[in-house]
Amino acid sequence: MAIIERHHEEVAIQGGELPQILLPTNCPGCGIGLAGDELRANNYVCINCGHHFRLGADVWIQLMADGGSWQERWADVRSHDLLNWTVPKRYQETVETLLEEGLNEAVRTGTCTLAGRPIWLATFDFGFVGGTLSIVAGERLARGMEQATSTGVPYVLVSASGGARMQEGVLALMQLAKVNAAVGKMNAAGVPYFSILTDPTFGGTAASLALLGDINIAEPGAAIGFTGPRVIKQATYADLPAGFQSAEFQLAHGQVDMVVPRNELRPLLAHLLEMYP
Amino acid sequence: MSVWEIVELARHQDRPYSLDYIRRLAPDFIELHGDRLSADDPALVGGIGTWHDRTTLFLGHQKGRSLKERVARNWGMMHPEGYRKALRLAHHAAKFGFPIVSLIDTPGAYPGAGAEERGIAAAIARAIMEWFEISVPIVAAVIGEGGSGGALGMGVADRVIMLENSIYSVASPEAAASIVWRDNSRKVEAAEQLQLTSREIVAMGVVEEVVREPHGSASTDYDAAAKALDEALWRYMQPLLEQTPSQLMQHRYDRFRYIDSLVQAEPHFGPKID
Repeated sequence: MAIIERHHEEVAIQGGELPQILLPTNCPGCGIGLAGDELRANNYVCINCGHHFRLGADVWIQLMADGGSWQERWADVRSHDLLNWTVPKRYQETVETLLEEGLNEAVRTGTCTLAGRPIWLATFDFGFVGGTLSIVAGERLARGMEQATSTGVPYVLVSASGGARMQEGVLALMQLAKVNAAVGKMNAAGVPYFSILTDPTFGGTAASLALLGDINIAEPGAAIGFTGPRVIKQATYADLPAGFQSAEFQLAHGQVDMVVPRNELRPLLAHLLEMYP
Repeated sequence: MSVWEIVELARHQDRPYSLDYIRRLAPDFIELHGDRLSADDPALVGGIGTWHDRTTLFLGHQKGRSLKERVARNWGMMHPEGYRKALRLAHHAAKFGFPIVSLIDTPGAYPGAGAEERGIAAAIARAIMEWFEISVPIVAAVIGEGGSGGALGMGVADRVIMLENSIYSVASPEAAASIVWRDNSRKVEAAEQLQLTSREIVAMGVVEEVVREPHGSASTDYDAAAKALDEALWRYMQPLLEQTPSQLMQHRYDRFRYIDSLVQAEPHFGPKID
Protein backbone atom coordinates (compact mmCIF):
# COMPACT_ATOMS: atom_id res chain seq x y z
CA MET A 1 0.00 0.00 0.00
CA ALA A 2 1.20 3.44 -0.90
CA ILE A 3 -0.03 4.62 2.46
CA ILE A 4 2.67 2.56 4.12
CA GLU A 5 5.45 4.39 2.36
CA ARG A 6 3.96 7.79 3.07
CA HIS A 7 3.75 6.98 6.73
CA HIS A 8 7.02 5.15 7.00
CA GLU A 9 8.28 7.60 9.61
CA GLU A 10 5.19 7.22 11.75
CA VAL A 11 5.60 3.46 11.68
CA ALA A 12 9.13 3.87 12.94
CA ILE A 13 8.11 5.75 16.06
CA GLN A 14 6.09 2.81 17.35
CA GLY A 15 6.88 1.89 20.93
CA GLY A 16 9.85 -0.47 20.48
CA GLU A 17 9.90 -4.21 21.14
CA LEU A 18 6.58 -5.87 21.78
CA PRO A 19 6.05 -7.88 24.97
CA GLN A 20 6.59 -11.65 24.76
CA ILE A 21 3.47 -13.76 24.39
CA LEU A 22 2.87 -17.45 24.94
CA LEU A 23 3.23 -19.22 21.62
CA PRO A 24 2.63 -22.75 20.39
CA THR A 25 5.69 -24.53 18.99
CA ASN A 26 4.16 -24.64 15.52
CA CYS A 27 2.08 -22.15 13.57
CA PRO A 28 -1.64 -23.11 13.64
CA GLY A 29 -1.91 -21.68 10.13
CA CYS A 30 0.82 -23.56 8.26
CA GLY A 31 2.52 -25.82 10.80
CA ILE A 32 6.07 -24.48 10.50
CA GLY A 33 8.20 -24.28 13.62
CA LEU A 34 8.02 -20.83 15.14
CA ALA A 35 10.97 -18.63 15.97
CA GLY A 36 9.70 -16.37 18.77
CA ASP A 37 11.93 -13.33 18.20
CA GLU A 38 11.39 -13.31 14.46
CA LEU A 39 7.63 -13.57 14.97
CA ARG A 40 7.65 -10.81 17.54
CA ALA A 41 9.60 -8.53 15.21
CA ASN A 42 6.85 -9.18 12.64
CA ASN A 43 4.10 -8.08 15.08
CA TYR A 44 3.15 -11.71 15.74
CA VAL A 45 2.18 -12.44 12.17
CA CYS A 46 3.55 -15.73 10.78
CA ILE A 47 6.29 -14.95 8.28
CA ASN A 48 5.44 -18.03 6.26
CA CYS A 49 1.62 -17.98 5.99
CA GLY A 50 0.47 -14.66 7.45
CA HIS A 51 -1.44 -16.23 10.35
CA HIS A 52 -2.30 -13.49 12.83
CA PHE A 53 -1.74 -14.58 16.43
CA ARG A 54 -4.12 -13.34 19.10
CA LEU A 55 -2.65 -10.55 21.20
CA GLY A 56 -3.44 -9.32 24.70
CA ALA A 57 -4.26 -5.74 25.57
CA ASP A 58 -0.67 -5.01 26.67
CA VAL A 59 0.67 -5.96 23.22
CA TRP A 60 -2.03 -4.01 21.38
CA ILE A 61 -1.34 -0.90 23.42
CA GLN A 62 2.33 -1.10 22.57
CA LEU A 63 1.53 -1.86 18.95
CA MET A 64 -0.72 1.19 18.53
CA ALA A 65 0.65 3.87 20.85
CA ASP A 66 3.69 6.00 20.10
CA GLY A 67 6.48 5.17 22.56
CA GLY A 68 5.88 6.69 25.98
CA SER A 69 2.54 8.26 25.04
CA TRP A 70 0.16 5.75 26.69
CA GLN A 71 -1.76 7.05 29.66
CA GLU A 72 -4.11 4.45 31.05
CA ARG A 73 -7.37 5.57 32.63
CA TRP A 74 -9.65 4.02 35.20
CA ALA A 75 -7.36 1.03 35.70
CA ASP A 76 -8.55 0.80 39.31
CA VAL A 77 -12.17 0.08 38.43
CA ARG A 78 -12.69 -3.53 39.46
CA SER A 79 -15.09 -6.40 38.86
CA HIS A 80 -16.70 -8.19 41.72
CA ASP A 81 -19.17 -10.99 42.09
CA LEU A 82 -22.67 -9.60 41.81
CA LEU A 83 -24.69 -12.74 41.36
CA ASN A 84 -22.96 -14.95 43.87
CA TRP A 85 -21.73 -17.10 41.00
CA THR A 86 -20.21 -20.29 42.38
CA VAL A 87 -20.12 -22.99 39.69
CA PRO A 88 -17.95 -24.36 38.20
CA LYS A 89 -15.73 -21.87 40.05
CA ARG A 90 -16.41 -18.84 42.21
CA TYR A 91 -16.46 -15.82 39.91
CA GLN A 92 -14.70 -13.68 42.51
CA GLU A 93 -11.84 -16.18 42.55
CA THR A 94 -11.65 -16.23 38.73
CA VAL A 95 -11.34 -12.45 38.63
CA GLU A 96 -8.80 -12.26 41.45
CA THR A 97 -6.59 -14.96 39.90
CA LEU A 98 -6.54 -13.11 36.58
CA LEU A 99 -5.70 -9.83 38.30
CA GLU A 100 -2.81 -11.53 40.10
CA GLU A 101 -1.59 -12.83 36.74
CA GLY A 102 -1.27 -9.22 35.64
CA LEU A 103 -4.36 -8.88 33.47
CA ASN A 104 -6.63 -5.95 34.20
CA GLU A 105 -10.14 -6.76 32.99
CA ALA A 106 -11.43 -7.48 29.51
CA VAL A 107 -11.09 -3.88 28.36
CA ARG A 108 -8.32 -1.40 29.03
CA THR A 109 -8.56 2.18 27.89
CA GLY A 110 -6.62 5.40 27.88
CA THR A 111 -5.15 8.13 25.75
CA CYS A 112 -2.04 8.07 23.58
CA THR A 113 -0.75 9.43 20.35
CA LEU A 114 -0.57 7.50 17.09
CA ALA A 115 1.92 9.00 14.65
CA GLY A 116 1.85 12.11 16.80
CA ARG A 117 -1.93 12.52 16.79
CA PRO A 118 -3.91 12.15 20.02
CA ILE A 119 -6.42 9.31 20.19
CA TRP A 120 -8.56 7.49 22.72
CA LEU A 121 -7.61 3.83 22.58
CA ALA A 122 -9.58 0.92 24.03
CA THR A 123 -8.52 -2.66 23.62
CA PHE A 124 -10.24 -5.86 24.63
CA ASP A 125 -8.16 -8.61 26.25
CA PHE A 126 -9.31 -12.09 25.25
CA GLY A 127 -7.25 -13.55 28.10
CA PHE A 128 -9.60 -12.07 30.71
CA VAL A 129 -12.69 -14.34 30.82
CA GLY A 130 -12.69 -14.53 27.01
CA GLY A 131 -12.59 -10.77 26.61
CA THR A 132 -16.18 -10.66 27.78
CA LEU A 133 -18.07 -7.41 28.08
CA SER A 134 -18.56 -6.80 31.80
CA ILE A 135 -19.72 -3.86 33.87
CA VAL A 136 -16.12 -2.69 34.27
CA ALA A 137 -15.45 -3.10 30.55
CA GLY A 138 -18.63 -1.20 29.67
CA GLU A 139 -17.84 1.51 32.18
CA ARG A 140 -14.31 2.04 30.83
CA LEU A 141 -15.60 2.11 27.25
CA ALA A 142 -18.45 4.51 27.97
CA ARG A 143 -16.28 6.89 30.01
CA GLY A 144 -13.67 7.00 27.26
CA MET A 145 -16.28 7.63 24.58
CA GLU A 146 -17.82 10.41 26.65
CA GLN A 147 -14.39 12.01 27.00
CA ALA A 148 -13.77 11.61 23.26
CA THR A 149 -17.15 13.25 22.66
CA SER A 150 -16.38 16.27 24.82
CA THR A 151 -12.83 16.73 23.52
CA GLY A 152 -13.32 15.70 19.88
CA VAL A 153 -10.41 13.26 20.04
CA PRO A 154 -10.79 10.27 17.63
CA TYR A 155 -11.68 6.92 19.20
CA VAL A 156 -9.92 3.69 18.26
CA LEU A 157 -11.17 0.29 19.45
CA VAL A 158 -9.46 -3.09 19.16
CA SER A 159 -11.90 -5.90 19.86
CA ALA A 160 -11.31 -9.56 20.74
CA SER A 161 -14.24 -10.86 22.69
CA GLY A 162 -16.60 -13.77 23.16
CA GLY A 163 -19.52 -11.44 23.92
CA ALA A 164 -21.24 -10.46 27.14
CA ARG A 165 -20.01 -12.00 30.42
CA MET A 166 -22.36 -14.71 31.69
CA GLN A 167 -21.19 -14.32 35.28
CA GLU A 168 -22.55 -10.77 35.45
CA GLY A 169 -25.97 -11.78 34.13
CA VAL A 170 -28.39 -9.25 32.72
CA LEU A 171 -26.20 -6.37 33.92
CA ALA A 172 -23.56 -7.52 31.41
CA LEU A 173 -26.25 -7.46 28.72
CA MET A 174 -27.13 -3.89 29.69
CA GLN A 175 -23.58 -2.84 28.80
CA LEU A 176 -24.52 -3.20 25.12
CA ALA A 177 -27.03 -0.39 25.55
CA LYS A 178 -24.65 1.66 27.68
CA VAL A 179 -21.80 1.59 25.16
CA ASN A 180 -24.02 1.95 22.07
CA ALA A 181 -25.62 5.04 23.57
CA ALA A 182 -22.11 6.43 24.02
CA VAL A 183 -21.26 5.61 20.38
CA GLY A 184 -24.38 7.59 19.46
CA LYS A 185 -23.00 10.58 21.39
CA MET A 186 -19.74 10.38 19.42
CA ASN A 187 -21.75 10.27 16.19
CA ALA A 188 -23.75 13.35 17.17
CA ALA A 189 -20.53 15.20 18.02
CA GLY A 190 -18.76 14.17 14.80
CA VAL A 191 -16.00 12.23 16.55
CA PRO A 192 -14.28 9.73 14.23
CA TYR A 193 -14.51 6.14 15.48
CA PHE A 194 -12.26 3.46 13.98
CA SER A 195 -13.10 -0.10 14.99
CA ILE A 196 -10.53 -2.84 14.53
CA LEU A 197 -11.98 -6.33 14.76
CA THR A 198 -9.56 -9.11 15.65
CA ASP A 199 -9.93 -12.82 16.26
CA PRO A 200 -12.47 -13.54 17.71
CA THR A 201 -15.25 -10.94 17.94
CA PHE A 202 -18.63 -12.46 18.75
CA GLY A 203 -21.93 -12.15 20.57
CA GLY A 204 -22.74 -8.99 22.47
CA THR A 205 -19.50 -7.30 21.46
CA ALA A 206 -20.18 -7.79 17.74
CA ALA A 207 -23.82 -6.82 18.38
CA SER A 208 -22.77 -3.57 19.98
CA LEU A 209 -19.81 -1.26 19.56
CA ALA A 210 -17.47 -3.42 17.44
CA LEU A 211 -19.55 -3.17 14.25
CA LEU A 212 -20.59 0.46 14.78
CA GLY A 213 -17.32 2.09 13.75
CA ASP A 214 -17.32 4.86 11.18
CA ILE A 215 -14.79 2.57 9.58
CA ASN A 216 -14.70 -1.13 10.49
CA ILE A 217 -11.33 -2.77 9.87
CA ALA A 218 -10.87 -6.52 10.31
CA GLU A 219 -7.65 -8.51 10.64
CA PRO A 220 -7.17 -11.26 8.04
CA GLY A 221 -8.71 -14.57 9.07
CA ALA A 222 -10.39 -13.15 12.19
CA ALA A 223 -13.62 -14.94 13.15
CA ILE A 224 -16.40 -12.37 13.47
CA GLY A 225 -20.10 -13.04 14.01
CA PHE A 226 -23.02 -13.04 16.39
CA THR A 227 -23.64 -16.71 17.20
CA GLY A 228 -20.61 -18.99 17.38
CA PRO A 229 -20.37 -21.85 14.83
CA ARG A 230 -20.83 -24.54 17.52
CA VAL A 231 -24.13 -23.06 18.65
CA ILE A 232 -25.35 -22.55 15.05
CA LYS A 233 -24.69 -26.22 14.33
CA GLN A 234 -26.46 -27.28 17.53
CA ALA A 235 -29.45 -25.07 16.81
CA THR A 236 -29.94 -25.62 13.09
CA TYR A 237 -28.06 -28.85 12.23
CA ALA A 238 -26.63 -26.92 9.28
CA ASP A 239 -23.19 -27.54 7.84
CA LEU A 240 -21.30 -24.30 7.66
CA PRO A 241 -19.11 -23.61 4.63
CA ALA A 242 -15.36 -23.09 4.98
CA GLY A 243 -14.54 -19.50 5.82
CA PHE A 244 -17.97 -18.88 7.36
CA GLN A 245 -17.80 -15.81 9.65
CA SER A 246 -14.21 -15.02 8.65
CA ALA A 247 -13.12 -11.40 8.19
CA GLU A 248 -13.20 -12.01 4.43
CA PHE A 249 -16.77 -13.38 4.71
CA GLN A 250 -17.81 -10.26 6.63
CA LEU A 251 -16.18 -8.07 3.96
CA ALA A 252 -18.12 -9.92 1.26
CA HIS A 253 -21.34 -9.50 3.26
CA GLY A 254 -20.91 -5.77 3.75
CA GLN A 255 -20.14 -5.73 7.47
CA VAL A 256 -16.58 -4.39 7.41
CA ASP A 257 -14.95 -1.80 5.20
CA MET A 258 -11.67 -3.61 4.75
CA VAL A 259 -9.47 -6.49 5.79
CA VAL A 260 -6.03 -5.17 6.66
CA PRO A 261 -2.91 -7.10 7.70
CA ARG A 262 -1.59 -6.13 11.13
CA ASN A 263 1.66 -4.74 9.72
CA GLU A 264 -0.28 -2.19 7.68
CA LEU A 265 -2.66 -1.19 10.44
CA ARG A 266 -0.64 1.56 12.07
CA PRO A 267 0.26 3.37 8.84
CA LEU A 268 -3.37 3.07 7.73
CA LEU A 269 -4.62 4.58 10.99
CA ALA A 270 -2.00 7.31 10.78
CA HIS A 271 -3.36 8.19 7.36
CA LEU A 272 -7.00 8.01 8.45
CA LEU A 273 -6.32 10.28 11.43
CA GLU A 274 -4.93 12.77 8.93
CA MET A 275 -8.05 12.48 6.75
CA TYR A 276 -10.54 12.72 9.65
CA PRO A 277 -9.03 15.54 11.69
CA MET B 1 -41.76 -22.16 42.72
CA SER B 2 -38.26 -23.15 41.59
CA VAL B 3 -36.30 -20.99 39.16
CA TRP B 4 -36.65 -23.63 36.47
CA GLU B 5 -40.42 -23.75 36.94
CA ILE B 6 -40.50 -19.98 36.32
CA VAL B 7 -38.42 -20.47 33.16
CA GLU B 8 -40.91 -23.09 31.97
CA LEU B 9 -43.82 -20.82 32.81
CA ALA B 10 -42.23 -17.90 30.94
CA ARG B 11 -41.93 -20.15 27.87
CA HIS B 12 -45.29 -21.91 28.21
CA GLN B 13 -47.25 -22.20 24.98
CA ASP B 14 -50.50 -21.28 26.73
CA ARG B 15 -49.01 -18.01 27.90
CA PRO B 16 -50.45 -14.91 26.20
CA TYR B 17 -48.24 -13.71 23.36
CA SER B 18 -47.78 -10.17 22.04
CA LEU B 19 -50.82 -10.17 19.76
CA ASP B 20 -53.02 -11.49 22.61
CA TYR B 21 -52.09 -8.40 24.60
CA ILE B 22 -52.00 -5.88 21.75
CA ARG B 23 -55.53 -6.80 20.56
CA ARG B 24 -56.83 -6.33 24.10
CA LEU B 25 -54.98 -3.04 24.64
CA ALA B 26 -55.98 -1.63 21.25
CA PRO B 27 -58.91 -3.46 19.61
CA ASP B 28 -58.50 -1.33 16.46
CA PHE B 29 -54.89 -2.51 15.99
CA ILE B 30 -53.71 -2.34 12.36
CA GLU B 31 -50.60 -4.36 11.59
CA LEU B 32 -47.90 -2.79 9.41
CA HIS B 33 -45.39 -4.92 7.59
CA GLY B 34 -41.90 -4.90 6.19
CA ASP B 35 -38.46 -3.37 6.60
CA ARG B 36 -38.65 -1.54 3.21
CA LEU B 37 -35.36 -3.18 2.24
CA SER B 38 -36.04 -6.81 1.50
CA ALA B 39 -38.42 -8.63 3.80
CA ASP B 40 -41.04 -8.79 6.52
CA ASP B 41 -40.02 -10.66 9.66
CA PRO B 42 -43.02 -12.51 11.11
CA ALA B 43 -41.20 -13.02 14.44
CA LEU B 44 -41.80 -9.32 15.15
CA VAL B 45 -45.22 -7.75 14.79
CA GLY B 46 -45.69 -4.02 14.56
CA GLY B 47 -48.56 -1.68 13.97
CA ILE B 48 -50.71 1.14 15.19
CA GLY B 49 -53.70 1.13 17.52
CA THR B 50 -55.67 3.53 19.68
CA TRP B 51 -54.59 3.19 23.28
CA HIS B 52 -55.96 5.52 25.96
CA ASP B 53 -57.35 7.78 23.22
CA ARG B 54 -54.03 8.15 21.47
CA THR B 55 -52.54 6.53 18.39
CA THR B 56 -49.74 4.31 19.64
CA LEU B 57 -47.14 2.16 17.91
CA PHE B 58 -47.11 -1.40 19.20
CA LEU B 59 -44.18 -3.70 18.61
CA GLY B 60 -43.78 -7.22 19.90
CA HIS B 61 -42.00 -10.50 19.41
CA GLN B 62 -44.59 -13.02 18.29
CA LYS B 63 -44.48 -16.75 18.94
CA GLY B 64 -46.85 -19.33 17.51
CA ARG B 65 -48.92 -22.01 19.26
CA SER B 66 -49.39 -24.78 16.69
CA LEU B 67 -46.30 -26.28 15.12
CA LYS B 68 -47.19 -24.62 11.83
CA GLU B 69 -47.52 -21.23 13.52
CA ARG B 70 -44.34 -21.68 15.48
CA VAL B 71 -42.40 -22.41 12.32
CA ALA B 72 -43.99 -19.41 10.58
CA ARG B 73 -43.10 -17.15 13.52
CA ASN B 74 -39.67 -18.77 13.84
CA TRP B 75 -40.31 -19.31 17.58
CA GLY B 76 -40.19 -15.54 18.07
CA MET B 77 -36.55 -15.36 17.00
CA MET B 78 -35.92 -12.33 14.84
CA HIS B 79 -33.77 -12.09 11.74
CA PRO B 80 -31.91 -8.86 10.84
CA GLU B 81 -34.95 -7.74 8.83
CA GLY B 82 -37.01 -7.72 12.03
CA TYR B 83 -34.77 -5.16 13.73
CA ARG B 84 -34.80 -3.04 10.57
CA LYS B 85 -38.60 -3.21 10.48
CA ALA B 86 -38.81 -2.24 14.17
CA LEU B 87 -36.62 0.81 13.65
CA ARG B 88 -38.44 1.80 10.48
CA LEU B 89 -41.68 1.80 12.47
CA ALA B 90 -40.04 3.60 15.39
CA HIS B 91 -38.98 6.43 13.06
CA HIS B 92 -42.52 6.41 11.65
CA ALA B 93 -43.89 6.83 15.21
CA ALA B 94 -41.41 9.63 15.93
CA LYS B 95 -42.51 11.46 12.77
CA PHE B 96 -46.12 11.53 13.97
CA GLY B 97 -45.43 11.82 17.70
CA PHE B 98 -46.94 8.41 18.51
CA PRO B 99 -45.73 6.85 21.78
CA ILE B 100 -44.29 3.34 21.50
CA VAL B 101 -45.10 0.17 23.45
CA SER B 102 -42.66 -2.69 22.94
CA LEU B 103 -43.44 -6.21 24.16
CA ILE B 104 -40.50 -8.56 24.60
CA ASP B 105 -40.88 -12.32 24.26
CA THR B 106 -38.00 -14.06 22.54
CA PRO B 107 -35.49 -16.83 23.27
CA GLY B 108 -32.97 -14.65 21.39
CA ALA B 109 -32.12 -13.52 17.89
CA TYR B 110 -32.12 -16.34 15.34
CA PRO B 111 -28.89 -18.36 15.60
CA GLY B 112 -28.73 -19.44 11.98
CA ALA B 113 -26.41 -19.09 9.01
CA GLY B 114 -28.79 -16.87 7.01
CA ALA B 115 -29.09 -14.38 9.86
CA GLU B 116 -25.29 -14.23 10.08
CA GLU B 117 -24.95 -13.71 6.33
CA ARG B 118 -27.37 -10.80 6.43
CA GLY B 119 -25.67 -9.11 9.36
CA ILE B 120 -27.61 -9.97 12.51
CA ALA B 121 -24.88 -8.60 14.80
CA ALA B 122 -24.80 -5.22 13.08
CA ALA B 123 -28.61 -5.13 12.84
CA ILE B 124 -28.91 -5.55 16.63
CA ALA B 125 -26.04 -3.12 17.28
CA ARG B 126 -27.63 -0.47 15.09
CA ALA B 127 -31.08 -1.02 16.59
CA ILE B 128 -29.78 -0.65 20.15
CA MET B 129 -28.00 2.56 19.17
CA GLU B 130 -30.91 4.02 17.18
CA TRP B 131 -33.47 3.51 19.96
CA PHE B 132 -31.64 6.31 21.76
CA GLU B 133 -32.44 8.67 18.88
CA ILE B 134 -36.20 8.08 18.85
CA SER B 135 -37.81 11.28 20.14
CA VAL B 136 -41.10 9.82 21.45
CA PRO B 137 -41.81 8.00 24.75
CA ILE B 138 -41.09 4.27 24.77
CA VAL B 139 -42.29 1.81 27.41
CA ALA B 140 -41.21 -1.82 27.10
CA ALA B 141 -42.48 -4.88 28.91
CA VAL B 142 -40.95 -8.34 29.12
CA ILE B 143 -44.02 -10.58 28.85
CA GLY B 144 -42.32 -13.99 28.58
CA GLU B 145 -38.74 -14.62 27.59
CA GLY B 146 -36.26 -11.75 27.50
CA GLY B 147 -33.41 -13.56 25.78
CA SER B 148 -30.07 -11.87 25.25
CA GLY B 149 -29.24 -9.29 22.58
CA GLY B 150 -32.31 -10.38 20.66
CA ALA B 151 -34.44 -9.00 23.50
CA LEU B 152 -32.35 -5.91 24.22
CA GLY B 153 -32.57 -5.01 20.53
CA MET B 154 -36.26 -4.32 21.28
CA GLY B 155 -35.75 -3.29 24.90
CA VAL B 156 -34.10 0.14 24.90
CA ALA B 157 -36.91 2.21 26.40
CA ASP B 158 -37.63 5.00 28.85
CA ARG B 159 -39.23 2.53 31.24
CA VAL B 160 -39.02 -1.26 31.25
CA ILE B 161 -41.32 -3.50 33.25
CA MET B 162 -41.62 -7.27 33.57
CA LEU B 163 -44.52 -9.60 34.10
CA GLU B 164 -44.19 -11.65 37.26
CA ASN B 165 -43.43 -14.98 35.55
CA SER B 166 -41.19 -13.64 32.83
CA ILE B 167 -37.40 -13.88 32.63
CA TYR B 168 -34.68 -11.56 31.36
CA SER B 169 -31.21 -12.91 30.78
CA VAL B 170 -27.82 -12.24 29.21
CA ALA B 171 -28.24 -15.59 27.41
CA SER B 172 -30.77 -18.41 27.52
CA PRO B 173 -29.99 -20.90 30.30
CA GLU B 174 -29.10 -23.45 27.59
CA ALA B 175 -26.67 -21.06 25.89
CA ALA B 176 -25.15 -19.98 29.21
CA ALA B 177 -24.62 -23.64 30.19
CA SER B 178 -23.06 -24.27 26.80
CA ILE B 179 -20.72 -21.30 27.24
CA VAL B 180 -19.74 -21.89 30.88
CA TRP B 181 -19.68 -25.72 30.99
CA ARG B 182 -19.74 -26.57 27.28
CA ASP B 183 -22.76 -28.66 28.20
CA ASN B 184 -26.24 -27.28 27.57
CA SER B 185 -27.88 -30.00 29.67
CA ARG B 186 -26.81 -28.04 32.76
CA LYS B 187 -29.45 -25.43 31.97
CA VAL B 188 -31.16 -25.70 35.38
CA GLU B 189 -27.96 -24.81 37.24
CA ALA B 190 -27.27 -22.02 34.76
CA ALA B 191 -30.79 -20.59 35.24
CA GLU B 192 -30.22 -20.52 39.00
CA GLN B 193 -26.88 -18.74 38.65
CA LEU B 194 -28.05 -16.18 36.10
CA GLN B 195 -30.60 -14.49 38.39
CA LEU B 196 -33.06 -14.11 35.56
CA THR B 197 -36.40 -14.02 37.37
CA SER B 198 -38.41 -10.81 37.54
CA ARG B 199 -37.83 -10.42 41.29
CA GLU B 200 -34.06 -10.69 40.85
CA ILE B 201 -33.99 -8.35 37.85
CA VAL B 202 -36.00 -5.64 39.60
CA ALA B 203 -33.70 -5.94 42.63
CA MET B 204 -30.72 -5.19 40.35
CA GLY B 205 -32.42 -2.00 39.19
CA VAL B 206 -32.63 -3.14 35.56
CA VAL B 207 -36.43 -2.85 35.33
CA GLU B 208 -38.79 -0.44 37.07
CA GLU B 209 -41.50 -2.82 38.20
CA VAL B 210 -42.76 -6.37 38.34
CA VAL B 211 -46.39 -6.62 37.24
CA ARG B 212 -48.43 -9.17 39.19
CA GLU B 213 -50.06 -11.85 37.06
CA PRO B 214 -53.50 -13.34 37.75
CA HIS B 215 -53.46 -16.14 40.30
CA GLY B 216 -51.90 -19.20 38.68
CA SER B 217 -50.07 -17.13 36.00
CA ALA B 218 -51.05 -15.10 32.93
CA SER B 219 -52.03 -18.21 30.96
CA THR B 220 -55.10 -18.81 33.16
CA ASP B 221 -56.77 -15.47 32.39
CA TYR B 222 -55.70 -13.48 29.34
CA ASP B 223 -58.11 -10.63 30.01
CA ALA B 224 -56.94 -10.11 33.58
CA ALA B 225 -53.28 -10.35 32.51
CA ALA B 226 -53.85 -7.79 29.76
CA LYS B 227 -55.65 -5.48 32.20
CA ALA B 228 -52.75 -5.61 34.68
CA LEU B 229 -50.25 -4.99 31.88
CA ASP B 230 -52.33 -2.14 30.47
CA GLU B 231 -52.57 -0.45 33.87
CA ALA B 232 -48.82 -0.62 34.48
CA LEU B 233 -47.82 0.44 30.94
CA TRP B 234 -50.13 3.44 31.05
CA ARG B 235 -49.01 4.43 34.54
CA TYR B 236 -45.43 4.66 33.20
CA MET B 237 -46.38 6.14 29.85
CA GLN B 238 -48.49 9.03 31.16
CA PRO B 239 -45.73 11.13 32.78
CA LEU B 240 -43.43 10.49 29.79
CA LEU B 241 -45.95 12.19 27.50
CA GLU B 242 -45.29 15.43 29.40
CA GLN B 243 -41.56 15.39 28.65
CA THR B 244 -39.92 17.24 25.77
CA PRO B 245 -38.03 15.12 23.20
CA SER B 246 -34.67 16.34 24.48
CA GLN B 247 -35.61 15.51 28.08
CA LEU B 248 -36.78 12.06 27.01
CA MET B 249 -33.60 11.29 25.15
CA GLN B 250 -31.32 12.62 27.90
CA HIS B 251 -33.15 10.55 30.53
CA ARG B 252 -33.07 7.48 28.32
CA TYR B 253 -29.32 7.89 27.94
CA ASP B 254 -28.89 8.28 31.69
CA ARG B 255 -31.15 5.31 32.42
CA PHE B 256 -28.82 2.94 30.58
CA ARG B 257 -25.60 4.82 31.32
CA TYR B 258 -26.09 4.36 35.05
CA ILE B 259 -28.20 1.20 34.98
CA ASP B 260 -25.54 -0.61 37.01
CA SER B 261 -25.21 2.16 39.59
CA LEU B 262 -26.72 -0.03 42.32
CA VAL B 263 -23.76 -2.37 42.09
CA GLN B 264 -21.29 0.39 41.33
CA ALA B 265 -22.17 1.94 44.67
CA GLU B 266 -20.65 -1.07 46.39
CA PRO B 267 -17.11 -0.72 47.75
CA HIS B 268 -15.27 -3.12 45.41
CA PHE B 269 -16.20 -1.07 42.41
CA GLY B 270 -13.94 1.81 41.54
CA PRO B 271 -14.69 5.50 41.73
CA LYS B 272 -17.66 6.60 39.68
CA ILE B 273 -15.90 9.68 38.36
CA ASP B 274 -12.24 10.56 38.56
